[in-house]
Amino acid sequence: MSTLLKISSLSWIVPNKIILHNINFNVNKGEVIGIIGPNGAGKTSLLRCLTNQANMLASKNVSGSVQLKNRHITQYNAKEIAQHFALVMQKNDSIFALSVQDVMKMGLLPHKTLFSIDSDHDKAQISLALKKVGLEHALHNLFNQLSGGEQQRVLIARALVQASQILILDEPTNHLDVYYQHQVLQLVNKLNITVIMTVHDLNLASLYCQRLLLLNQGELICDGSPKEVLAPKQLSQVFGLPCKQSIDTITGAIQVSFYLNEIDTQNNYFLESLGE
Amino acid sequence: MNKVSITLFVLAILVILSALTAITFGPADIDASQLLDCLVGTCQNQIANVVIWQVRIPRVLVALVAGMGLAIAGAILQNTTRNPLADPYLFGIVSGAGLGATIANISLADNLTVALPLAAFLGALFSVIIVVFIAKVLQRMEQLLLAGVAVSFMLASITQFILYFGEPFATNRVIFWLMGSLARVEMSNFYVIASVLIVAIVTVIALHRQIDALLLGDESAASLGVNVDKLRLLMLGICAALTATIVAYCGGIGFVGLMIPHIVRQLIGVTTLKLIIGSAFVGAIFLIWVDVIARSSLPHAEIPVGIITSALGSIFFLFIMYRTRAIT
Repeated sequence: MSTLLKISSLSWIVPNKIILHNINFNVNKGEVIGIIGPNGAGKTSLLRCLTNQANMLASKNVSGSVQLKNRHITQYNAKEIAQHFALVMQKNDSIFALSVQDVMKMGLLPHKTLFSIDSDHDKAQISLALKKVGLEHALHNLFNQLSGGEQQRVLIARALVQASQILILDEPTNHLDVYYQHQVLQLVNKLNITVIMTVHDLNLASLYCQRLLLLNQGELICDGSPKEVLAPKQLSQVFGLPCKQSIDTITGAIQVSFYLNEIDTQNNYFLESLGE
Repeated sequence: MNKVSITLFVLAILVILSALTAITFGPADIDASQLLDCLVGTCQNQIANVVIWQVRIPRVLVALVAGMGLAIAGAILQNTTRNPLADPYLFGIVSGAGLGATIANISLADNLTVALPLAAFLGALFSVIIVVFIAKVLQRMEQLLLAGVAVSFMLASITQFILYFGEPFATNRVIFWLMGSLARVEMSNFYVIASVLIVAIVTVIALHRQIDALLLGDESAASLGVNVDKLRLLMLGICAALTATIVAYCGGIGFVGLMIPHIVRQLIGVTTLKLIIGSAFVGAIFLIWVDVIARSSLPHAEIPVGIITSALGSIFFLFIMYRTRAIT
């Protein structure tokens, strides 16, 4: 397996707060990696560092390095980074009536020069990508009128047009119902490209990621397979709740369940006694 | 040809027809055959020839490029700030030009033909620089518009202060100038506005994909390799130069930049290339006809175009509000 990304001693420290602390890991070609952890653990901040957003690695608060194909990421210009990374964000809406086609054309930008117009090849790429996400009929629909799951799929299709090697998704299943959560993650899994995503739902992460990174308070606590990372003792410490691990009888994936601790049970009892 | 190309083609023809028809309007009695003779250069009537070449054609041409310029400036600002209410006038450009014109009127009254446009231009650029500076200090580009409104009121109050204590004739001149008029334009004004317009259009066409990428948010644009702040500043600079040049010669003509892109979005689409070309055509048609109304609706008098565009604009605004209410 060839290494695409190499993150070494990455830290991001602002006055009074450690956002990321001494993070080290590699990303190999074709891996689907999930970043998990409680709110404020640094998941989204890590994603921002990986793509050097707003040239943040040059900031004095950030130390360590991110190497893309053995070259420092700071040596790539914005266009080259866009050719390597495609980003699907949490929230995307426009006040203007953009069509799906308009959104898809944005994906062409990193490969276009000034003044260029769309070629037949570009149009074919766009319909092919939409077909892969099952939305070939929606080319002329309004983006804002699609459901949340469809919007995510359009943005994933846009990432395909962008033809980047690494797909970055920030909470792709946020605001989606159960059906779309599975649909979007299944799609991401089938694309056969390198994927790095933050996921809130640990059981979804376990089902769809080969490898998980557990972050807590800016530190990388564990890096490994879902079975290793979702170890109950570790999760209990990070999330502050008792936890059990099991194997899902249908999918065969590792599943975790959290349950309320003693104090909460007492509260329940207290509430019941109030009801009397 | 697809629907968009056909619409643009029809609009382009309408621009040419509007310009030709507009030349026939005016107080001097010139019939169609005389007009045609004068246009091809075989004119027998010297007076008609002078009226057409030195009064009507410059006026129609300036209306054409000014309409294009104001509409394009509005369209660029709306797409780069993702705010459908953005308008060059909200960025304090007219108040700045008004202040410049006031100072020129009070202090340089002898040489106004050069001094007034120049001072208005400098005043407009000055106000944009202040607005951008404030937004930079606040580090929030979303507040560019609010900063613009604040700066606009501040500069307007300085202008009014000067006018209140100024000489009544100078005050009158400034007030009429602020109402906007194409009555005193010359061919040279057309060349200046057209040059700035061409630079603006070429730049926007070159960068149209970058501007489109902004439509789904700054983060999305940045992930596609766009330097968001730089692009937005460049576009604001272009709009400022364009509007300042037009305001300098024609005075305050409001609402064109707000209204025209709105119509074009419904008609053609929201992405930058279509929007800019469509706005240029519709803006040109609009201002040519508003100017025809301005100079021919009252006998022996002209209505300042700014009054008509503002009246139409405010009605249009209420109409939009009514329509969106009906939909939601």
